[in-house]
Amino acid sequence: MSPRNIERWGGISQLLHWTIAVLILLIGVVGLVMGELPRSSRWFWVYTAHKSLGLTVLALVLVRIGWRLYAGAPPPVPGTPRWQARLASAVHVVLYGMVLAMPLSGWLYDSASGLRPLRWFGQLEVPKLVGPDTALADAARGAHEWLFWLLVLLVLVHAGAALYHHFVRHDATLARMLPRRLGTPPPREDVP
Amino acid sequence: MKYTTPTALTATLLAALLASAPAMANEYVQAEGSTLAFASRYDSELFTGRFEEFNTRLRFNPADPGSGRLEVLIGLTSAVTGNAERDSTLRTAEFFDIGRHAQARYTANGFRKVADDQYVADGTLELRGVSKPVSLTFTWNTDGERPVLSGRAVVQRLDFGVGAGDWADTALIPNAVNISTRVVFERP
Repeated sequence: MSPRNIERWGGISQLLHWTIAVLILLIGVVGLVMGELPRSSRWFWVYTAHKSLGLTVLALVLVRIGWRLYAGAPPPVPGTPRWQARLASAVHVVLYGMVLAMPLSGWLYDSASGLRPLRWFGQLEVPKLVGPDTALADAARGAHEWLFWLLVLLVLVHAGAALYHHFVRHDATLARMLPRRLGTPPPREDVP
Repeated sequence: MKYTTPTALTATLLAALLASAPAMANEYVQAEGSTLAFASRYDSELFTGRFEEFNTRLRFNPADPGSGRLEVLIGLTSAVTGNAERDSTLRTAEFFDIGRHAQARYTANGFRKVADDQYVADGTLELRGVSKPVSLTFTWNTDGERPVLSGRAVVQRLDFGVGAGDWADTALIPNAVNISTRVVFERP
């Protein structure tokens, strides 16, 4: 079986998609909670974890974009209205952009804050994008927060559309992003 | 008064002037353009800060450094380091504890000359309710329009309980904090 994306999403695309999805969920929850932690060096590992996971997503999404350019994407399932296919493609492009912009704005915020060195999971020294800069740090923080809520919105649209395809239209749009044994859409009740 | 001749009056005035002149000539107050900065590291990342509010009074005659006197009042709430989170952390009880001690005070009586135009003030820093000796090494420059004192000191932060609890780890924040100051003076 070709790992390329002909009729279904191949294993590599699926692995990247779901790994990134789970990481984003985790990072989002940690990001929302960590601001409430007491400001003490004892809790800084939580921030380091958030940043390290975010940089991991940045690397994974670069791999994913590269893989998508090589392996392609399956065409819309037959019967999808053209405007829906176009909207879906537009949402996908924006999602890729957002998943790049989130870690980049966070990295910029971290660099411009100049509070402490960033080591990926405490191991690898991550270079600073810029020197300490209060105005830039504030701007990057603002962007990071706004992009997050925009990402939440887009993910809801994206996931909502997938569920609509699966449970309302009973087509393979979601199923082809799932392993075969999980991805059988429920049978249509109006079809004997 | 029968002794009040022009000559006697002049002599009296002159004597009064001479008596007050030495003291007046050596008194200075802080002028615009003065800075008081500090530098430390967090997890080996260098950061610098400054106190935007501080006030210096100096009595100093380079010919007689032993008679010098320095007093600096430092507004701890005015510490800025280029990061609002760090600044607000500095104000907490674990660092400057500004709720209880909003000011620090440095006083020194008598300076030692150690080189040409270079002196040491063996003074006392009162910070966070603790008084400990801190030496300030400074140069005195009178080439410009106004005299300038440029000084350096090292403060062991843990001597004063600055950065207690989780922050006491010197691998995270070194004990020694470098202080540098440049005070421009004018006559009171």
